[in-house]
Amino acid sequence: MGTVEAAVRPAFRRSLFARQSAVRMAEILLGGLLFLVLLQVILGFSLLDPDLWRVYSRSFWNGILRTLGYIALILPVSVAVGFCLGWARVSRYRAITWPVSVYIEFFRGVPPLFVLIFASILGPTLLPERFQSVELGLTLGALTIAFHSAAFQAEIFRAGFQSVSRGQVEAAQAIGMRGLQSMRHVILPQALRLSLPPLANEFAVVIKDTSLLAAIAAGELFHLSQRIQDTIIRGGGSLDWLFAIWTAVAVVYFVMTFLVTRAMLLLERKVHARGLEALAL
Amino acid sequence: MIRVEGIHKHFGALHVLRGINLEVSKGEVLVIIGPSGSGKSTLLRCINLLVEPDQGRVFIDGVHVNHPDIRPEWVRQQVGMVFQSFNLFTHLTSLENVMLGPVRVKGVSREATEERAKDLLARVGLSAKAGAYPAELSGGQQQRVAIARALAMDPKAILFDEPTSALDPEYIREVLDVMTALAREGMTMIVVTHEMGFASSVASRIVFLDAGTIIEEGRPEEVFETPKHERTRVFVSKILR
Repeated sequence: MGTVEAAVRPAFRRSLFARQSAVRMAEILLGGLLFLVLLQVILGFSLLDPDLWRVYSRSFWNGILRTLGYIALILPVSVAVGFCLGWARVSRYRAITWPVSVYIEFFRGVPPLFVLIFASILGPTLLPERFQSVELGLTLGALTIAFHSAAFQAEIFRAGFQSVSRGQVEAAQAIGMRGLQSMRHVILPQALRLSLPPLANEFAVVIKDTSLLAAIAAGELFHLSQRIQDTIIRGGGSLDWLFAIWTAVAVVYFVMTFLVTRAMLLLERKVHARGLEALAL
Repeated sequence: MIRVEGIHKHFGALHVLRGINLEVSKGEVLVIIGPSGSGKSTLLRCINLLVEPDQGRVFIDGVHVNHPDIRPEWVRQQVGMVFQSFNLFTHLTSLENVMLGPVRVKGVSREATEERAKDLLARVGLSAKAGAYPAELSGGQQQRVAIARALAMDPKAILFDEPTSALDPEYIREVLDVMTALAREGMTMIVVTHEMGFASSVASRIVFLDAGTIIEEGRPEEVFETPKHERTRVFVSKILR
């Protein structure tokens, strides 16, 4: 059985995953459609109201693009910082683990909004005048979201590192591997395998946390939608328009989060090692 | 080929090895026996420097290896090791486990290594399991892959740290058979084991270790049948039953 099974299984698993994904996608589309019909027909929302979108679609699209820009900055930075912190956290030297613990405790215990506002307002004033700008404040604000998430990701990576047994490291040493080689080829692949599911979770949180940037008027989706709301209210527009705008915002966040967590699931399948699962899939 | 001179090792207040002297020549199979906690594993680990001796010297082929100028990674390429709990890399297949060392440490090409790794798996009777992950293998199969992994580095000697102690009884035979074949082919081996059948038939010499000192040393029949020391006699009578 051994080799034949080994040859057939990966391809089979890939097609299975593609099929499952397609089915899940279809389910979600159908569910979403039903939901929209419900809102549209029963509650009388005017989601597809051409008048609404003629006025506000430009602003809405700008918001989406800006949000995507922030995600593109925040996600990689948070992973890079979180990974380094998680690695530092398992160091045998207290001089390294102690400051990292302080960092993690700070960001875990303080509301991200507080750090965000502080960094974006106070941050630029600490620099010479010629570097100061609104854009700098916004970037600093976005980075605090990355640093906040990094604290949580550090704990995820730490758990991954600590799940790799001492015996694995010894076995790597015993075939003559240097520290970095055993990290790269033995510890990391195993640590990441266990870190990926909670990491996908954290990514979903970060994507939605970019909406906090609305507090410093960052011009991303949430902020612009608030502005649209204001103009609708001030202009005496219909309440239906408000519901329509915010439902559209929810749909956008959902799609972004879904795509990223699905990509993570794909990665998870890729590093899967057979025989380790406690429950059959 | 392997010489150990006056090794001491402390773990905190515990004095685990108290001046060990040992010599193993090429092609010899040395079996180390002794009660648990006597320092057998630590002694093995001092030879490939997984544990750094506090005092004393270790020589491999005349080279003083626990010298600050010698990289321990280089030493471990010369002397393979097989562990009690196998320690196969769980994220790699059997074949990849065997290939990892030659490809990443020695820089041998993938194609050449794959050929060789398949031969080694065949040698331990596991050709059919090349694509299997460790978690899909029995303990005996995992340990045989681990032996192939050690062999793939072309070591001058292999250290076995209780290779059958974690195995279900029905799998012990297959691992001992592979080890016996290796010994017959002239591999230099140092084996910590409680398998007295293997020790008497394969070992060229037996060392009895107790409380960090070598109490007795000799040919298997001498140590097992006419032990000179009381402590050896007591220990041997316990494990031979």
